[in-house]
Amino acid sequence: MNSLFIFVLLIVLMLTGMPISIALGLTVLSFLFTMTDVPVQAVALKLFTGIEKFEIMAIPFFILAGNFLTHGGVARRMIDFATSMVGHWHGGLALSGVLACALFAAVSGSSPATVVAIGSILLPAMLKQGYPKSFGAGVVTTSGALGILIPPSIVMVMYSVSTNTSVGKLFMAGVIPGLLLAFFLGLTTWVLARKKDYPRLPRASIAERWRAFQRSVWGLLLIVVVIGGIYSGMFTPTEAAAVSAVYAFAIAVFVYKDLSLRQIPKILLDSAAMSAMLLYIITNAVLFSFLMTSEGIPQAMASSIMDMGLGMVGFLLVVNLLLLLAGNVMEPSSIVLIMAPILFPVATTLGVDPVHFGIIMVVNMEIGMCHPPVGLNLYVASGIAKMGITELTIAVLPWLMTMISFLLLVTYVPEISLWLPRLVFGN
Amino acid sequence: MKILDHLEEWLIASLMGAATLIIFIAVLHRYASGLAIPGLQDWLLRLNTSWAQELTIYMFVWMAKFGAAYGVRTGIHVGVDVLVNRLDERHRRGFILFGLLAGALFTGVIASLGADFVYELSDTSSTSEVLELPIWIVYLAIPLGSALMCFRFLQVAWRFARGGELPVHDHAHVEGLTEDAAEGRQ
Repeated sequence: MNSLFIFVLLIVLMLTGMPISIALGLTVLSFLFTMTDVPVQAVALKLFTGIEKFEIMAIPFFILAGNFLTHGGVARRMIDFATSMVGHWHGGLALSGVLACALFAAVSGSSPATVVAIGSILLPAMLKQGYPKSFGAGVVTTSGALGILIPPSIVMVMYSVSTNTSVGKLFMAGVIPGLLLAFFLGLTTWVLARKKDYPRLPRASIAERWRAFQRSVWGLLLIVVVIGGIYSGMFTPTEAAAVSAVYAFAIAVFVYKDLSLRQIPKILLDSAAMSAMLLYIITNAVLFSFLMTSEGIPQAMASSIMDMGLGMVGFLLVVNLLLLLAGNVMEPSSIVLIMAPILFPVATTLGVDPVHFGIIMVVNMEIGMCHPPVGLNLYVASGIAKMGITELTIAVLPWLMTMISFLLLVTYVPEISLWLPRLVFGN
Repeated sequence: MKILDHLEEWLIASLMGAATLIIFIAVLHRYASGLAIPGLQDWLLRLNTSWAQELTIYMFVWMAKFGAAYGVRTGIHVGVDVLVNRLDERHRRGFILFGLLAGALFTGVIASLGADFVYELSDTSSTSEVLELPIWIVYLAIPLGSALMCFRFLQVAWRFARGGELPVHDHAHVEGLTEDAAEGRQ
């Protein structure tokens, strides 16, 4: 009864369009004042200690690093590099779109920003070469979502915060699924382009490839700094994030010269505002999950699901459907923060590996950004491609199908996600 | 009012920058003091950077609270607006106003709860673990930040109710892209 009240109140408050953080907070407060004897003081304490974790501090650092590096010319350089590598295959420009999106998204950490950055450069070029608009828009919309699976990923930090899973392991676990999904999206593109005989670009010479690589390598090294630093044990994930922020600053200002020092305060301010927004949701989500735990809701749900006899296969299917549904109305960070504390205890009771479960959630978030009616990437792409949502929905369909098959693959073959972290960290 | 706006922006931007530098320096220090350079190593080992982590956390707590208030002013807080955006204009305005006032209510309650809590703490002598700062000063961020946030919600609601525009943050905006895209089309 109580749990029903909590969820109904939360959903009603969220649907009025108020900020998610406020909806969470008000739910907790109204519950506390009316129906429980958890002392308000305990909540006040939670409010202070909610974000006092060093792991969470990776989020502002990664946002800052992304903001430094996504200014100006980095998207262009990554597209040039991608084009020189895969441009001569069928559907060359579209394939380089997939690759450039994967690279840019990994560095920037934001899916919609990737769609805009890559799409606004690549789409006009594709149109000029005679691709139909829908093909280009479909590629960019779906590939832009790759970013949250390829580390560094803010959504993974969120998951690790709400479930106490190691960030390092999650990052490692994201590498192979990320590359695999990029490969599948590329394959879909290639097959479609081959059938329709879309134009290919002349093959780039080794020298050209080397030059393009040299121009983009400084941006790409950010991923190496983070993964390599965590892998070798040189830094904790939070330190890796801080180091990558300083690195990104140095590259943007002194190497690429995309930024002048006068723009720095503005970038600091934008990153701080974005981080503060996310940290505010975290604070309130911590409150919310504290309330749920003190009411014993996750445990009750776990045992009722066990009684239903769904088993692991059925449960994971339900989780996927639930998350895809949630992906329609909320952005990834909020979904993870609200859903992970509820679903996680059930998953572990059923014997799902915490890291694997995290990857399943992240892949779901990716799909949620591109599927109708209201994926965020879809909206952004419809803006730059000047296509209606319905039209665009049909355009993304082939890639969306690929992503959903990939989701099933990742869900039921845990080895895809778990092999690398096991290799690196042991069991 | 202008001064408050600038102070707020200046505070969160410098906290962001300073925290990054502190952690970066602490990491550098850890590796540099492993280098066997006579003199330099001794000097580095004598410096203690164990406070860096704690200080960063507190700086970010302050940044988060005041940044959230700045975020209200710039409309960065995300909500589920799918349903509301399909309503007709009059109802939509009603719901938005309701959301803003709910925000003011929540942050107001938190500010007073927080003030209470900090007031009780100020009587105790508890300090933070490493820096030994009085803990109530650290936690002062909650009532101050929440009160400012409450004020911002009311400010935005007031302007909106009088027919003004709602601040909206474009989450897909990429700085410096326009020139670049134009260049690409040439």
